[in-house]
Amino acid sequence: MAAPNKPDDDSIKVRVYKLANRLKARLGSDFKNQEEGFLAPEVIEEADKYIKTLCVDCPGTLDKNLTTLATLWAKMKDIPESPDRADLTRQIFTLAHEIKDVGSMCEYELISYFAESLRDYIGHTELNIQAQVVIIQAHLDAMQICHRQGFKKEGGPEAEELKKMVKKAIDKYR
Amino acid sequence: MSLFQKKPLPYDLSNFTVLIVEDSLYMQSLMSQMLKIFGVGEILACDGAKEAIDLLTVTQASKKSKYLTNIDIVLTDWLMPKGGGGDELLTWIRSHEKDSVRFMPVIVVSGYTTEHLTSLTRDMGANEILVKPISGTTLASRICSVIDHPRPFIKAPRYFGPDRRRQEMPYRSLDRRVISAEEIKVEHGRTE
Repeated sequence: MAAPNKPDDDSIKVRVYKLANRLKARLGSDFKNQEEGFLAPEVIEEADKYIKTLCVDCPGTLDKNLTTLATLWAKMKDIPESPDRADLTRQIFTLAHEIKDVGSMCEYELISYFAESLRDYIGHTELNIQAQVVIIQAHLDAMQICHRQGFKKEGGPEAEELKKMVKKAIDKYR
Repeated sequence: MSLFQKKPLPYDLSNFTVLIVEDSLYMQSLMSQMLKIFGVGEILACDGAKEAIDLLTVTQASKKSKYLTNIDIVLTDWLMPKGGGGDELLTWIRSHEKDSVRFMPVIVVSGYTTEHLTSLTRDMGANEILVKPISGTTLASRICSVIDHPRPFIKAPRYFGPDRRRQEMPYRSLDRRVISAEEIKVEHGRTE
């Protein structure tokens, strides 16, 4: 088969590769077989049950992650612009991303919401250190309150109050 | 159903090798466990594009090794700030010189749900996108999709990857890009 990276015959603008279905062959089926298959419903159900069992430990996982986040932030907030600060920013970004994943997996929607906001803020916004102090602290406080008070859902007066608090901190520097 | 008609059996993935590329250990272990439950024979995991590229390079070079079998499906996270992101891995895979790598099915797993990311992953040659939070149903559906609906690969001047059109749509406008039949070459073949 002609290599896609090699210079081609100039007259050919588009090449279409119709390949044998290697995955079907790996399943022991004829690679020409076009019938749709499926995974056993029992295994899908078992995988979903596994997610549920993981979610039993979710408060513990979130607690650990939020403690690490607070520790990273405590180190970062007093450091001036430097490679060390940039490294801590990256660590907070990754951790916020993970908190978002864990939270959304286990229906901790509100923590997930703030973690996503923190991740997006820290990943895309160029602000001075004073602004960062206020905004990151507001996110961290909001997540810790959610965790301590057991707020899970995004709706409700408490959730709205916390969202307002974070929005106020962000708006102050926009 | 007639008495003699065979009841379709579910897929047996015990011959499959799946590579998970994910920097969050939590998600890596979650996906790995789910694939085990699905019966996937071999599951490999890396925490970023760079490690995955090293692993794929070794697997291609050592075909005789019992443990370094060809990888059948790659499940990659998109955003991995430390070890290289899904974009880096996808670009490397789709520009690889070996058929067994460049035609490899890649499922992008991401917590980002923007239209921009969907278009970007599609334009970089991803086969499927799986949005987090994942569930047994969504993961199974993407795996079945790459098995059941392998789209032809297209090499165009600015694209190499699975055909981005999933359905035939009638086009009535005048400004359609026109390409003559002579400029299209269809190649039938099998990967290594």
